This record gives sequence, C-alpha cells and structure tokens, in this order.
Amino acid sequence: MTVLTHPVARFLARRIAYSLVVLIGVLIAVFALVQLVPGDPVRIALGTRYTPEAYDALRAASGLDRPLFSQFFAYAASAFTGDLGVSFRNGDPVAEILLDRLPATVSLAVAGIVIALLIAVPAGIWSALHEGRLSDAIVRVTSQFGVSIPDFWMGILLIALFSTTLGWLPTSGYRPLFEDPGGWLRHLVLPGLTVGLVAAAILTRYVRSAVLEVADMGYVRTARSKGLPPRVVTFRHTVRNALVPILTITGIQLATILGGVIVVEVVFAWPGLGRLVFNAVAARDYPVIQGAVLLIAVLFLLINLVVDLLYAVVDPRIRLA
Amino acid sequence: MRRASAVIAVVIAMVLVVSCAPAERVDLGRGSGNLIVAIAGEPDQLDPQKTSAYFSFEVLENVFDTLVEPDANLEMQPALAASWTVSPDQLVWTFRLRSGVQFHDGSPFTSADVVYSYRRIIDEKLANVGKFSAVTDVTAPDANTVVIRVKQPTPNLLTNLGGFKGMAIVSRKNVESGQIATKPIGTGPFAFASQKSGDSIVLRANGNYWGGAPKVPGVTFQFITEPTTALSALQAGEIDWTDSVPTQRIAQLQGDDSLHLAVTPGNDYWYLALNEARPPWNDVRVRRAVAYAIDRQSIVQATSYGSASANQLAIPKGNPWYTPYDTYRYDVDEAKRLLRDAGAQPAKMDMLVTSEYPETITAAQVIADNLKPLGITVDIRTVDFATWLDEQNNGHFDMLMLGWLGNIDPDDFYYAQHHTDGANNAQKYSNPEVDRLLDAGRVETNRAARQQDYARAATIIADDVSYLYLYNPSVIQAWTTNLSGYEARRDGAIRFRTASLTGGGDR
Repeated sequence: MTVLTHPVARFLARRIAYSLVVLIGVLIAVFALVQLVPGDPVRIALGTRYTPEAYDALRAASGLDRPLFSQFFAYAASAFTGDLGVSFRNGDPVAEILLDRLPATVSLAVAGIVIALLIAVPAGIWSALHEGRLSDAIVRVTSQFGVSIPDFWMGILLIALFSTTLGWLPTSGYRPLFEDPGGWLRHLVLPGLTVGLVAAAILTRYVRSAVLEVADMGYVRTARSKGLPPRVVTFRHTVRNALVPILTITGIQLATILGGVIVVEVVFAWPGLGRLVFNAVAARDYPVIQGAVLLIAVLFLLINLVVDLLYAVVDPRIRLA
Repeated sequence: MRRASAVIAVVIAMVLVVSCAPAERVDLGRGSGNLIVAIAGEPDQLDPQKTSAYFSFEVLENVFDTLVEPDANLEMQPALAASWTVSPDQLVWTFRLRSGVQFHDGSPFTSADVVYSYRRIIDEKLANVGKFSAVTDVTAPDANTVVIRVKQPTPNLLTNLGGFKGMAIVSRKNVESGQIATKPIGTGPFAFASQKSGDSIVLRANGNYWGGAPKVPGVTFQFITEPTTALSALQAGEIDWTDSVPTQRIAQLQGDDSLHLAVTPGNDYWYLALNEARPPWNDVRVRRAVAYAIDRQSIVQATSYGSASANQLAIPKGNPWYTPYDTYRYDVDEAKRLLRDAGAQPAKMDMLVTSEYPETITAAQVIADNLKPLGITVDIRTVDFATWLDEQNNGHFDMLMLGWLGNIDPDDFYYAQHHTDGANNAQKYSNPEVDRLLDAGRVETNRAARQQDYARAATIIADDVSYLYLYNPSVIQAWTTNLSGYEARRDGAIRFRTASLTGGGDR
C-alpha cells in the first residue's frame, strides 16, 4: 500500500481504472455499431459465387448464427485475456494481425509528428513574435496552404519528385526497422513527410496562437521591462508557458495519426492500421474491426496518460493528485 | 537550446545521409533475383477453394493446379490430368493423372487428393459447389485414375474443373491443419514462402514443377492500391510488372518504349439490370426505351478512357462464343416512342451503385444524364459493397450496375443470371424459351448445336433487356523490358511460370 500513497502512483492507479471503464464502453459501442451497419459478412465472402447452401454453411462455421448476446460475452471474456478472436477472412488471430501492423503505424506516426514539431514549433513561435508583419503573413498563408492541400496529392507529388524524377527514395512500401534499418528509414521519409507536412500546418496555427496568448501576459511584459535579453524572455517566459496547449494538440494529432492515415497509407502502400480497418469494414470482418478499434482506443488512452504526466513536467503548478 | 539545435541538426544530417547515400536506385530485396510485381490489393485469404477475391487468384494461379487448365485460347489442356476419356453415353469421365507430381511439402500427388479436393467443395458446400451440379460421384479406382460420373451429358465439365483456380487440387494435410488460408501448399510452379500483412507475399520457384522449373527464383507480390504509385514504382525500376495502371495514362504509355503495355480485350462484362418485379420496369418496352437512351460510347469513355469495348451482348469479339448483335443504338426519339407505346412515364429511378467498383459511380452519372431527356430523374444511390449485395438480394432497386468476372464457358455467363431459377437473377427475369435454351446448353455435347443454343438465348436476353450489356473492360498490364516470356491473358489469369528476367541496367 505504501506504493499507492505516492501521488503519481495514486494518479496512475486511478487513471488505469478509469481507462478500463472507457475500454468496456468502447467494446460495447463498437460491437453494437458493427452489428448495426448493413451488409452481411458471409454474403460478401461468397461474392458473386453465392448459393443459399454455401451461405448457410459458412454462416454456421463463423459462429454468426448464435444469439448476439452470447456472441458479445464470448468476445468480451476472451478479449480481456488478449485473445481477440480470428479474422473471418483467413482465420488468422486478430491479435497477431494487429501486432504485425503496429510497427509500421507507430513508425509513420512518430516520424510524422517529429517532422511536424520540427517545422511547427519554430514557425509558430516566429510567426507569433512577428505578429502582423510580413514573415507572420508568410507563415500563416503557407500553413493555410498546407491545411488545404489534399494529402494524397502531396504524396503523389513527392513520389513524382523524389522517386520517379530524382530516384533518391523508393516510391512505396515498408521495411521493418530491426531487419533493415536503412531501408526502414528510406521507405519512411516520403510518407513521414506527407503526414508531417499536413500535421505541421495544423500545429503551426496552434503554436502561434498559444504563444500569442502568453505574450500578452503581465509577467512577460514585466520580464521584458526588467531588461532581460529577448531570447530569455521568449524561451523562459513565453514559450515555456505556451507548452501546455501545444502538448495537448500534439497528443491529439499523434493519436489521430496512430488511428490511421488511410489516404497516405494507400498512396504509399504502407501496411498500417488505417488500411487494415478500411479493408476489414469493407469485408465486414467483425473481429478485425473490433480488435483494431480496441487497439486504437488503448493507444489514445496511453497518449492521454503520457500527455497528462508531461503537463506536470512542463508546468510544476499542475499537480497529479 | 544550443544543444537541442545541435541534436536536431545531427538527426537531419543522418536522415539525409542514410536516405540518399547509396548511389543505386533503391533497394527492394533485389539481391534475391525475384520477379517483383505489384497487384492492386491484398488477398483476403489463400485458400483457393474458399476465396472469391481476384487478388487471391492472381497469387494462387501460380501456386495451385487444376486437373485441366485453359490455354491462351481458353481451350482446356492437360494439367494434373495427363489425359482423359469420356464414355459413349457421355456419363462417365475417366482421367489419367500425371505421374511423379509432388506437393510443395514433398508429399506425392495421387488420385486421393483429387477426390478429397472435390469432395471438400461438394460436402462443405463451398462457393464453387455449382460447378459440380451435374456430378453424381467422384472416385479413385487406383492411385493414378479419377472417375467422375455425371447425371446428364455435361459438355462444359472440363471448363468447370479447370476454368479457374477456385477448383484447385489442395493438400488434405494442409486443409486439416487449418493452414491453407495463410500458408497454402499446392503443386504449382511456385510455392508459398511468406506473407507480410498489408505489404507483400513472396513465392519461391518449385524446382520439381511438372511443367518444368520456372526461370525466376521466386515472385514477390506487393500490394500497391494506388495505380499512380504502382506506375511510378514500375518506372523507377522497383517492380517488374503491374496490373495497377491508371487508365488515364494508357494513351501516353502506349508511346513509351521503356515499358511493355498490354491492353487485352477481357472476358469480363459490365451490365445494367432493371428490376422486373417493380413496375414499370416489368414492361419490356420501358426496358427497351432505357436501352435506346443509353450512350455506351460515352460510358466507355468515362469509365475507362476508351480502353474498354462497348458491347450489346456479354461476350467480346475474338471469344469462341461471340455472337454478333447490334439491335440498339443511341436514339432518344426511339426511346420516347417506346415509352409512349407503353403508356409509362417513370419520373424517378433508384439506381444502385457501389464505391467498391468506382466505374459504377462514374457510369451512373453518364446514365443519369442520358435518361434526363426521357423525363426520368435518376437517383444515384452509392453504397459500400456489403450493403449493395444486401439491397440487390432484397430487390431494393430500380436499376443496378455491376460486372460479371472470370467467364469462360457460356453457362457461366447466362445460367445464374437469366434462368428463372438462377442464383443471381436479382432482376427477376423469366422467359420459358430462355430457360429451355439454357437447360439445353448444359447437356448439349455437339459444339455447333450448343453454340446455336447460346447464340439464340443471348439474343433473346438482349432483346428482352434482362441485362442491358454495356462493355467489356480490357485486361491492362504493364511490365518492364527486362521481363520476357510473359503473356497477358484474356481470362485475367496471371501466370509467371515461363517468365524470365534479363539483367537490365539497375539490376
């Protein structure tokens, strides 16, 4: 019990309990939604070669003829032991399929968010500190452009330039980090850049407004009037205090990318979660849809937790208890 | 801050160095010497008897064999069966199997495997069970002989057994271990090696293949859905072959000497069907009015940039079962006259199309425009394929558009779609004469007489507008000049058994 008296430990215990409740809610919601969507997985699996006999045989073999409640409880019980069932389509364990896709998805999300931050933080700060001037206008117009440009178009342009014309980078595909680190990085650059540039455009606007808000505060004026060098005022007083909203939006962006950037995955033939879910929905592969949504929910909760912990790091006034 | 900038600078420098340093044009496991091809999607599963996905068959065509198989002219040739005889009453087919054939795991191929494979389709009522509708018995009198008994003369038995890899001979061990869907074992020119979910499948050459060992050490199938990306990968030398080609680039690619482009008229067809259970579409004059109002050339242009061939019947020219037919023309006045005759003035039409096949959405827009002069407002309803199938089965549509794929024998084209008892007759067409002809075609062993039955049936089907046939899409494939010994086939079967690679500049 001594462990749980530590405020951080207590915070974590509470958050994990709360996360479990959320996950059960997600489970019920996704199970219900999947059932509500019209379209019959057995009918799709048979395609144009449908016959009533084949239909009944496949339906019974997939367990879809059992009552809905019994299907749900069987699923929920095994889900908590890590068994997410098997894909309707090829009988592969869903947990394995998800674990196969996770490294590609995480690679792309991390690369995208790193690129986005490398661009958005300096651009946003610069733009805020030069509010109303030409350089501010340039940053704002560029970021508006970045928000508006469709990501598939950006991806195709990047392929045309860096792969077809210059021959520097591969057009598409994925290499696992631990099998082929060089290949991993080379295959990651273009999709990472596509995801990163779009996210950067969004983040820049948030960074700019967060910094602007802080720059209006009294203590910043005080710091400046004390005669502190502009650099110290900017970084120690302004940016540091703008970090909380920036962290929030970064967490949301990261979670969104982890949940799947389907268009980018399609353009770059990237084996991520987005395409998996898309194909699973098209085929009404219920176990894969449910498993993937659960996994994405877990990732969201994890990121939220990390972001909450980081709040306390960047702003000691925030206490976890 | 200075330290942070230094770290960032180092990271950027590393990215640039690692990503651009090698002077050669990208790696892709080129060291393996594998033929690298891109297909437009991932197979749903690799059990040939259970899948219905074309992406699966693109891969499995190279892994499995059937008793007989179609040659380039779609005539059946020996495969796992070396020869066969038919009894004088046409009711007993005896197949002599090729000897010395092995599965990829080294176990011998025998008549028991054929019986097991066929019994599996029949007993488990798998999707292709209809191919055995005339079969009463499959037996193996000895290890090298299979006897198939049929209840009536069945002229298309060979096509049913070998027309596509859905009728593949599978390994019992592979099925019973539950591995066939993910690690299939066949007798074909290539053996399954590995799969990376969402990324690729690797096959390796089967040195013991009965048709001679393949000339490439293996084939890597990459899943590249976006055709623009697949074409870029081909042009960049990352892949050797693809059928994921953007149709709008065909004209430009035809003049490109660095690539082979094959635009082969295919056997697939796309059609419209009007729901005859709903008035006024039950009136043949109203259906004919729609047929005259549709401008096929515009639809072909819009859906395929002109690469498909407009057709008023199912079968394209060049196919042995082709029947000439050109009753309809684009004629709005004739369409209006027919509607007046019928005393019908439909104001709305619920047209069911699916995002799974974007050509149906594109065509629907042209069709909506075509029907406007008749005073018909087409309500285009776009749904995903699962919903589409449900709506079709429940008869919730006025008109729908879809394609029928992988056709070889005319029984494939007509029976399920137009016979009163056909499993896919969602438009509820029923004509006793057509039923009689389609039943007769199933048992007629005289080729000329059979041809006549189907020509007659096809003509009535089009006259009655059971289906309003639109066009035959082309099989479009592109490959590098390094790849030789490969031919595009009109049935869409992708065979790499005779393909070879010559070392080009980047290899």
